[in-house]
Amino acid sequence: MTTTFKYRSPVLRAELFCLLADHGADVRILAGGTDLLGDLRNGFAQPSLVVNLKNVEGYSDISWSRDDGLVIRAAVTINDVLQDSKVRDSFPLLVACGQDLASHQIRNRATVIGNVVNASPCADMAPALLCLGASAMLSSQSGQRTVPFSSFFTGVKRTVMRADEVLEEIIVPWESADARGCYHKLKRIKGHDLGIVGVAAMNKDGALRLGISSCAPTPLLVEGMSAQDPVETVVAAVHEAISPISDVRCSREYREHMVAVFVRRAIQEVAQ
Amino acid sequence: MRITVTVNGLAYERDIEEHWTLLRFLRDSVGLTGTKEGCGAGECGACTVFLNGKTINSCLALAVEADDGSVETIEGEAVHGELSWIQAAFARNHAVQCGFCTGGMVLSVRDLLQRNPKPSVAEIKEGIEGNFCRCTGYEQIVEAVLDASGQLDENSKEVLRYV
Repeated sequence: MTTTFKYRSPVLRAELFCLLADHGADVRILAGGTDLLGDLRNGFAQPSLVVNLKNVEGYSDISWSRDDGLVIRAAVTINDVLQDSKVRDSFPLLVACGQDLASHQIRNRATVIGNVVNASPCADMAPALLCLGASAMLSSQSGQRTVPFSSFFTGVKRTVMRADEVLEEIIVPWESADARGCYHKLKRIKGHDLGIVGVAAMNKDGALRLGISSCAPTPLLVEGMSAQDPVETVVAAVHEAISPISDVRCSREYREHMVAVFVRRAIQEVAQ
Repeated sequence: MRITVTVNGLAYERDIEEHWTLLRFLRDSVGLTGTKEGCGAGECGACTVFLNGKTINSCLALAVEADDGSVETIEGEAVHGELSWIQAAFARNHAVQCGFCTGGMVLSVRDLLQRNPKPSVAEIKEGIEGNFCRCTGYEQIVEAVLDASGQLDENSKEVLRYV
């Protein structure tokens, strides 16, 4: 590790918020660590303090109720979500996106919240959360605010979050339960790899929503469509929304082509 | 800072730096070098260990996170010099060449078989997707896992060529 830092692992929320307020931009939160450890190793992150939030009381819980919806808290890992019986029964889209995220060892550590906070354009959980209409509950010493994921991402690896805030809960509304959903992810290999293009589709009572990854500076939501709409109308709406680039993994033109291929397949899969 | 970690059933109390990875602690402080550093970025799985019962990449965890926890490494696999049934299946099926990936691979297979005692070939490949092997081409490893789970016969070896 090229960077040296101090380490704290608070148990109380108040202690966590206090550490973040005191250290500002000089602190990094450690959840699953599968992104942070890489950044610390290669010097992209050089905090003086690393704060582990996995031991904060209540942060490892997933809960479900009609009033609160599905609540995924800060230290919940991808495999925790995949093994949760309510998620397995009612949120096939979360399962589809989670299963395609990295390898078993990474899924044992990586958190859902870390995946969205890091705000990579290719974040695998973001398309699902966008389709499901989920929100982020952000907490700090000065209070709480709830931001829907449709306005959470602001750029490549940028979000609306302040340095003193923690994404404590992801809230998936109960209305999204039992929607049909699927995820198509283009990778270089069949095994674990970052996405080149990702398309999540959700059909809830005929309303069609699409979550697109790796095709713009942020994960995108394309909504306001019906499962009855002509396929090419939907493809055109997606092409209108995206702004893909050429990079080491593929060209802009290939992304534009493959996103259309995946949209057509996904619509068919979630059609009732 | 001082941490206490149980590794393969033995408690180790050691002074470490906060920025040390669990991998560095195991290799440099405890002296167990069966856990390898391949990529150092969570891609290759050569550093796979169990932390509190779950497989993780030890290059992507801080040593201090294992404080008061329990770690199992490849050194805990053979008991009194006797290979575990998974290691024996790897040996029988020539699933080891240079051996660098083998420690992590065996632990991922143990984890897979604990979750799923009779995995299909597709499930085996998914179970070891986080472990890269650059020698064998994986075929012998998949055969070893079929063997370890009591599913290998000459027919399945032939079938494997086409999966």
